[in-house]
Amino acid sequence: MFSTHLKSLLGAAALAVASTSQTAIASTAGNVIEIKGEIIDTWCYFSGVMGDTDATRGSAHHTCALWCAAGGIPVGVRTDDGDVYMVLKFKGEDALEQTDTIMEVQSDFITARGVHYKRDGLNYIVVEDVVANDGITYLSHEDYDSVPPFSAPKKPKK
Amino acid sequence: MSKFKTKLLGNLAVAGMLVGGIGFGALAAMLTSKPELPPDARPDPAIFQVAASNTPGFPEIKSGDYNLVDHRGNRRTSKSPEGTFQLLFFGYSNCKAICSVALPNLAEAVDILEGMNAPVTPVLITVDHERDTVAALNDAVGDIHPKLVGLTGTPANLDAAYKAFNLEKKFLFEHVDEGAVYSHGSFIYLLGPDGAFKTLFAPVISPVRIAEISAGYIAAAGS
Repeated sequence: MFSTHLKSLLGAAALAVASTSQTAIASTAGNVIEIKGEIIDTWCYFSGVMGDTDATRGSAHHTCALWCAAGGIPVGVRTDDGDVYMVLKFKGEDALEQTDTIMEVQSDFITARGVHYKRDGLNYIVVEDVVANDGITYLSHEDYDSVPPFSAPKKPKK
Repeated sequence: MSKFKTKLLGNLAVAGMLVGGIGFGALAAMLTSKPELPPDARPDPAIFQVAASNTPGFPEIKSGDYNLVDHRGNRRTSKSPEGTFQLLFFGYSNCKAICSVALPNLAEAVDILEGMNAPVTPVLITVDHERDTVAALNDAVGDIHPKLVGLTGTPANLDAAYKAFNLEKKFLFEHVDEGAVYSHGSFIYLLGPDGAFKTLFAPVISPVRIAEISAGYIAAAGS
């Protein structure tokens, strides 16, 4: 049953990704863009397994997002208007190779400059430079605590 | 409009309506139960196309460079001996994390494409060569999909395959019950029959969407 539910959610997620609005696309190659947004865990954000997408961002989901990134889940940059740019490459990495670099910026709100590609209806970006990093700005733990609850260390007994 | 095209359009429309509620198991069954399809039917290029908005210059991966051994002990390169397109994923048979979702999704996409008379060979390259021997893969792949080809090899040959796809994999820790746990890249790659890279899918992409996009590339290759 979980599998069926998950697949339904994944379908919805795929449509959500596919329907993101676009900026102008160069006709000959990827074009350089600068975007502001939060580094997100694309699996938990799009799959819906954690419920509300806002709960899968920011401080509430930071620990889980680190685990997902460490496990190889691609990260994305989510802009304030909800567009998601799948990160193909982060500065210092080879394309598609996700190394520990991403762990240092997971969940941060960054200004990224890079090359934007559209592929099969999705946005991809090769991040060439992080122009600014504001750190974790979405303090979602105030509303959601820890998502999922087991992702945070247990509070010490009093 | 051909009967084939009409049925596919109908199915895709239903697919859209189903999103969010019923799941894709029923859809996959519907798409794969079309005995009336002519044997030469292929995805109609009038319906399934490579997205015109694709940006040229997409950073393609280097491909075509692996030389491994399949779960039956046969040598296999990225060129498909079946002459089909291929959906390739890197993972390992004991993986309880992303593989346990990505591989069933991949298998379902293969079934959907099969229903379109667009056979695609699913391929798994292990990131755990110590446990994923030929025999172990032979035991494991059939549970995922009857057509899944499991590939293993020498560390050197596997490393070459990882490099060919810029695949990052790393041993994380030893789980008390499950043994070695690895992190690894989770993109699914669509390769042509010749092993050439066509496109990739993030693991969040649904089986229906993977099939739909793959069908565009297959239709384009046949036109």
